[in-house]
Amino acid sequence: MKRPPRILGLVRGSSYDALTEQHSKAEARAGRLAQQLEETKADSRGWKGKTEEATSALKKAQDAAATAQKQLRQAEKQRDEQSRNARKLKDESDKLRKLQEARAAELALLKQRLAESERDLIVAREQLMAIEVKLDILEGAANVLDGRTRDIATRRSGGVGTESGSAV
Amino acid sequence: MMPVGTASVPYLTIIATGRNDDFGGDFNGRFFRALHFNHRQLAAAGIAHEFVFVEWRPIDKRPLLASLLADEFAGLSSLALRSYVVDPEYHEAFSLNPRLQFQEFIAKNVGLRRARGEFVLTTNTDIYFSRGVIARLQEATLEPGVLYRAARHDLMSDLDVSDIDWDLLEDERNCEVVNGIRPPLFTNASGDFLLLDRQTSDRLRGFNEVYRVAKIHIDGNYCMKAYTSGVRIVDIGAPVYHVGRGTLHAMRGMYSGRPGDAPWGDVRWKSDVVYENGDGWGLGLAPERVIDRGTTFLAFDWQAVGPMVDLQRVVSPGAPQERAL
Repeated sequence: MKRPPRILGLVRGSSYDALTEQHSKAEARAGRLAQQLEETKADSRGWKGKTEEATSALKKAQDAAATAQKQLRQAEKQRDEQSRNARKLKDESDKLRKLQEARAAELALLKQRLAESERDLIVAREQLMAIEVKLDILEGAANVLDGRTRDIATRRSGGVGTESGSAV
Repeated sequence: MMPVGTASVPYLTIIATGRNDDFGGDFNGRFFRALHFNHRQLAAAGIAHEFVFVEWRPIDKRPLLASLLADEFAGLSSLALRSYVVDPEYHEAFSLNPRLQFQEFIAKNVGLRRARGEFVLTTNTDIYFSRGVIARLQEATLEPGVLYRAARHDLMSDLDVSDIDWDLLEDERNCEVVNGIRPPLFTNASGDFLLLDRQTSDRLRGFNEVYRVAKIHIDGNYCMKAYTSGVRIVDIGAPVYHVGRGTLHAMRGMYSGRPGDAPWGDVRWKSDVVYENGDGWGLGLAPERVIDRGTTFLAFDWQAVGPMVDLQRVVSPGAPQERAL
């Protein structure tokens, strides 16, 4: 017998089975592809998120770098300023040190003069004390001689002498 | 026990001065008690010693204290007890202040000049040596060139001293005042204990004979003289004792408002100023005449009296050090 014409939509049983199998395979494959598509889409979404995160991180890093740059510039500026200040302070310090050295020399001189003055004062005080002692002696001698003279004069005139001092 | 010193060169000469005037009440009794006590302790410790007593300005028509002393200590040889009676004319001749009735320190110089001991101690008649002082003398470790001082402990004046011994002297309940001494000069009642070797004593030429206007602080002035002459002054480390606070303490208040009238002179005199006694210090040129066993009379002679005023011998305390430089 002749093959049924395809025109009539008739196929042989074996072909049908083969086609059915192909169809199932194709559907399975389509399913797998759809799943893979979904997975790929999901991956794609993941990567997109990561890309966004990376972009964001990059942005942040850029911002941070910019900030750091800015801070660096500020720090450099401050450093320069501090260096200037340090130089200024050093200059002032040098000036003060020289002034201090001059004052120290002046102080040493003053101390020396003070010590000399103290020595002079001690000597002057000692000499003054010695003079006071000498005056005491002279006064004592004058009084004794005065007493003796008066006694002699009183005896010569026949009067009664006065006793000087008190007996203890 | 090894004897310390010999009879011809005793280890210690003890010099005191006084007269028979009952100064301070029962003067002779206080003197004899202290002398008996000190002699007993020194003899017991084997310390060869001599007493040199100087009677200054003896009182007319009263027995010489030197004679009473010789009678009281008849057992002592004429070497162990020597007395010098000074012609009373010397007092007037030396006087620069009629209020001073007794030139105590010129009298002590008479003794210093005539001392024979290895060491000489100028003290007062009613001073008792402590156990520590005797022990220090017994060790015979006193150094030359050092002036030794001892703090005076004043005991209660009403203490019964008829039978005095160390227990009584050392009993803290009997002590009224301790006259503390401090470096560098260790003054404060220094006239009661000034001990140094005879060579140094001779070098210093005794107490101040130039300034005779006061007798108070002449002892401290001697410490200053020693100090400025390079003599080290130290505390001997043991006290001496005195019964009562002393006559000066009793009378001091009477003259607080008029110190210039005090019978010891004006307390305010500048006693840091020192002196250089002349060659004839201590009546070195006075003619001597033995009048009794162990008693010598120093007759008056103007040769023995220095000038009334000798201002060159007044020395600023800093000057000797400056001269040394």
